[in-house]
Order: sequence, then structure tokens, then C-alpha cells
Amino acid sequence: MKEGDSTEELTNELLEQLTCQTVFEIPIFGGIAVDEAVVVTWIIMAVLTVLSIVFVRNLKVENPGKVQLALESVITWGSDFFEGIIGKSNRRYVPWLMTVALYLAVANLIGLAGFKPPTKDLNVTAALAIMSMILIEYSGIHKNGLKHWCVHFAKPVPVVAPIMLMEIVIRPLSLCMRLFGNMLGGFVVMELVKAVVPFLVPIPLSFYFDIFDGLLQAYVFVFLTALFMNEEME
Amino acid sequence: MTGTIIAIGAAVAVLTGIGAGVGIGIATAKAADAIARQPEAEGKISKTLILGCALAEATAIYGFIIAILIIFFLQ
Repeated sequence: MKEGDSTEELTNELLEQLTCQTVFEIPIFGGIAVDEAVVVTWIIMAVLTVLSIVFVRNLKVENPGKVQLALESVITWGSDFFEGIIGKSNRRYVPWLMTVALYLAVANLIGLAGFKPPTKDLNVTAALAIMSMILIEYSGIHKNGLKHWCVHFAKPVPVVAPIMLMEIVIRPLSLCMRLFGNMLGGFVVMELVKAVVPFLVPIPLSFYFDIFDGLLQAYVFVFLTALFMNEEME
Repeated sequence: MTGTIIAIGAAVAVLTGIGAGVGIGIATAKAADAIARQPEAEGKISKTLILGCALAEATAIYGFIIAILIIFFLQ
């Protein structure tokens, strides 16, 4: 009977972690509920904003400091990477991609600091995926014009038009589900391992599931977005 | 009794992982081959490999999400 009890306990704990609690309500328009994920996102935004302000203070053209050199090499590496995917002529989208990559990397790793990762909430990943979807289609329309965008659905042969139309929805759906499923999967596996062996074994697994997988998924999300944009802009 | 059937359903849903595992294994083997043949193209190969793995992994993730939904919302 004890076996069943511990299983129930674990299920309840997982369920509690899965549901997004409402932290407080904004008392206008009949109460707008603010979820935990939104509050953690605000914290991430505040930290990133403060860090950017701190790091870009006292930048010099001559005799740059150590911090400035490190910052410059990181930013150059990032913008080179994204320009390599979407092409030099479309560099206007690079800051957006780098911002999302930074946010996702911090959001996936924030579980280590004791917060609940916002990417474990389906609403957050869905919102990010919808932003990606709008940007993908916008980049195509901006580059090639609305007429080309309407015609390109029937490009090789008109028979594929329904599939191409479905792709508009499937691409962000897959982005959203991939990020959410990976974060949730890593979390569930970690909880199960901790429940079975709470000593020493979770440490190497935590390196994989918490750190490596989080960074990899942040990378994959922006990489795929950039790739789809490139496809759309051809 | 229903609990057992739900658990079996979730286990069947998670079997999608087999496909993703085989696919990623094949992709990695070919990537290792390609890098051995042309070490200078490693950057491009690993970029393509990560993309392919991310796409192949999606099926496993879908199966996992379905399994989670079965366990938590069918009770």
C-alpha cells in the first residue's frame, strides 16, 4: 500500500508543478490574472535590462577594457552566426533573434536559481511561437512583396497549396511543442530520478537535462526561426 | 484497473521515442562519417546535424506530450 501512496504523492507534486498558479490579479477590466510565468519573465527582463545598461556604460573606442572586449567578441560571434543563416542583406532581424536566444537561454536555466522556468508553461512557448510565425510571414512579405507571398503557396505545382498553407500553422506549433515538451520532459525525468535515487546520481543528469538541454533548445528555437525566415525570403 | 489501462496507454504513446532514437542514431553516424571524410566541413555538418536531430526529436516529444496528457487528464 505504501508504494501506491508515494506514487500518488509524486503525481500530485508533478501536477502542482505543471499547473501555472496565478500570483495576483490586476484589478481592471474585471481582474486580469497574472501567472507565475509572467512574473518570472518580468524578473528576467529586469535582470537582462540592468545587465545591458551596466555593460554598455563607459564603452571606449580607444583602450577598450576587458569587459568591453569580451562583450564585443560575444556580440560579433552571435551576429556573424545569424547573418550566416539569414544572409547579410537581412541583418535587420538579427537583434530580434539574439534577444529571443538570450531570453530563452536565461529562462531555461533559471530553474537552477530556484524559480519555475517560464518555458515550462505552454502559454509562454505558444506566445513565442506566434511571434516567430508573424515574423516569418512578415519577413517574406517585406522582402518579396505581398503578391509574391500569395503566389508562392502554389509554387512548384498548385496541388501542394494546402500543404504549404498548413505549414504556416504547423511550423510554429512544432516550435512551441518542441520547446515545451523538452523542458517538461527534462523536468519530469529529473523528478523521477530524484524520487528513486536522491543521492549523487541526479548530479550528472542535472548537467544534461537542466543546463545542456536548456541551452540546446534555446539555440534550436532561434536557429529554426532563422532558417524558416530564410526559406520564406528566398 | 483503469489506472493500469491508462498507464499502458501512456507507455504505448511513449513508444514513439523508438523512431526518434533510430533516426538520430543514423543521422549522427552519417555525420561522423562525413566529418571523418571532410574534417574541414565540420562546422556546416554539425549545424545540419543539430537541425536534423531537432526535427527528428519532435516525434518523440509529441509522443511524450500525449503520454503526459493521458496520465494527467484521463484520470
